[in-house]
Amino acid sequence: MKKQLIIAIAREYGSGGHEIGKILAEKFGIAFYDRNILDHMFEGEDKTQEIMKQYEEKPFNPFLSRRVRGHTNSLEENLALMQFNFIKKKAKSGESFVIIGRCAESVLAHYKNAVKIYIRGNQKSKVYRVMKIYGLDEKEANNKIKRHDQSRARYHNKYSVEKWGDAKGYDICVNSSCLGIEKTADLLEDYVNMRKEIME
Amino acid sequence: MLTIEQIMALLIFVVMFVLIISDKIERQYVTLGAAVLTIVFTFGICMKSPKAIFRALNIQHFNEVSFWISKEGAEATTTGINWETIIFIAGMMIMVEGMGKAGFFKWLCMKIAKLVNYKPIPLLVSFMIMSFCLAMFIDSITVILFLAAVTVELAQLLKLDPIPMILSEIFCANLGGSATMCGDPPNIIIGTSLHYSFKDFIQNTGIIAIISLAVIVIYFLMVYRKELIQEKVTDEDIKAMPEPYEVIHSTKEFVISSAIFFLAVVLLVTHERTGLTVGFIGIIIALLTLVTSGKNAVELVKEVDYKTLVFFMGLFVVVSGLEETGVLKLLAQHIEKLSGGNVIIMVAIIIWVSGIASAVVDNIPFAATMIPVISSLSATSGVDLSILAWALALGTDVGGSATPIGASANVVGTSVAIKNGYIITWGKYCKTSIPATIIVMVISMLMIIVRYCL
Repeated sequence: MKKQLIIAIAREYGSGGHEIGKILAEKFGIAFYDRNILDHMFEGEDKTQEIMKQYEEKPFNPFLSRRVRGHTNSLEENLALMQFNFIKKKAKSGESFVIIGRCAESVLAHYKNAVKIYIRGNQKSKVYRVMKIYGLDEKEANNKIKRHDQSRARYHNKYSVEKWGDAKGYDICVNSSCLGIEKTADLLEDYVNMRKEIME
Repeated sequence: MLTIEQIMALLIFVVMFVLIISDKIERQYVTLGAAVLTIVFTFGICMKSPKAIFRALNIQHFNEVSFWISKEGAEATTTGINWETIIFIAGMMIMVEGMGKAGFFKWLCMKIAKLVNYKPIPLLVSFMIMSFCLAMFIDSITVILFLAAVTVELAQLLKLDPIPMILSEIFCANLGGSATMCGDPPNIIIGTSLHYSFKDFIQNTGIIAIISLAVIVIYFLMVYRKELIQEKVTDEDIKAMPEPYEVIHSTKEFVISSAIFFLAVVLLVTHERTGLTVGFIGIIIALLTLVTSGKNAVELVKEVDYKTLVFFMGLFVVVSGLEETGVLKLLAQHIEKLSGGNVIIMVAIIIWVSGIASAVVDNIPFAATMIPVISSLSATSGVDLSILAWALALGTDVGGSATPIGASANVVGTSVAIKNGYIITWGKYCKTSIPATIIVMVISMLMIIVRYCL
């Protein structure tokens, strides 16, 4: 029987973590979950998927939400918890997959077959990448990176014990700016293969 | 110029409020911490008054006859922990837990849905009325927890959109809570602190709430008319519906819990005649539920929402800090000055300030804080306290309906919907609820003014 493999990737904005995740999913021939997780969660409900995209992987606004007996009106928080359940369900089903962000490394902290990766990048290369992809100037790109990273950190730290980007929460942390996207993916492929050998 | 103890009490209160809103720390820890600070710094270090500490803890109240038996014309006391409110809420929590476990609420929903033949418009109207009636006696969180869950279930089976029903049920639960003394927590606190009876509430806020319900049913039917007309329930869908009796877990438990609920309603409705306080009724109901539930008694006790009870205790101590230091008297003086002693303006200020504040912050701390304010306002201006009490009750209860965070029922209802994949955003919620809230607030204000002030 084929061993289950889960690759949970946390990433800095502009570091290419998403692209590296895609490459790894292709290399290992496994499913790839990013924002498309909503398509699976709300299958056939296009309108709901569209609305939920605005609230996904976002920190909740404490002034617009309240908690009562374990319930909250926060769409961000409810969606986050629904996604965590979805991720756990997928992991429990034995499926192999790559998952980008969504606190997956924390949600699957006790899964021995889950490889937890953090991908960061040098500011200069991240800015260059974001400028190229979104057609922004340097200042705009810097602001975009700052805004997204702050949002990701707040979202992550609300639901996880370890802080976002803290090496303690991951198996391997890598700077994608040193080797570039492709070679970082190759490096991580080797690492995952080595991990696979010792997986149960 | 504020004194040092007033600054301290105010500072603790403001920090507590901000922390409750920010939701970083669980609210019961916030109020408990604030209560400890009030006792140590405000009463202990600043006021050097052990008597103020005893008044705030209010333990001696258990030893007083007035805790068990209400005396007519008893002096209105508002200082310190309102144990009657806490014991009553705890007792009702135990009873409601027993009813839920027996399948009472689900059975009631399924029975009413069957009675109206699962047709969308009668279903919406009947569930709104049911929500209103249940919330008159049971806390609105429980009412909405069960109603929203059954609504989602029915909607999935009948292929309907549950959001219009859930939003209208939430609104009616809050409205029903305003009708009686035991419906909404602000009313329980107002009633027990100012010694108003169930009958007093029914004759005053109750009448306004019932008239508002009639208007609100028409309003929600008009707002959702398009969706309701488009929705069609087929005979096949109806045939597939489960029978109401199927949801009853145990007939014996069902009969017992229904009988206890009936007794609770009778005791509450007649408490003015019998002289039993709501705190005492809470104890009777809790004991009866526990004795009749046998082995499940421990489980029922464990299910009590202790966090809410602790939240209340801490809150009462912090508010007593404001009261003992005279901060609330200053606030009352400002309101009196602002209104120029005109009772109509006073009513308008209380109802709208309470309503707007309750729409954005938890209405329980707000009501608890405002009770000493209206007492002081009544004492200094000579305005009948009951008029201000009804304005405060309606303002806080109804105002809480305006936004998803205004009242606990709103949070629970939207949460149940979202968890089942039915998205209720702030925009969607407020689009129907803000106009409905304004309609009821205007009705309430006009009725209070016409009935008591002209």
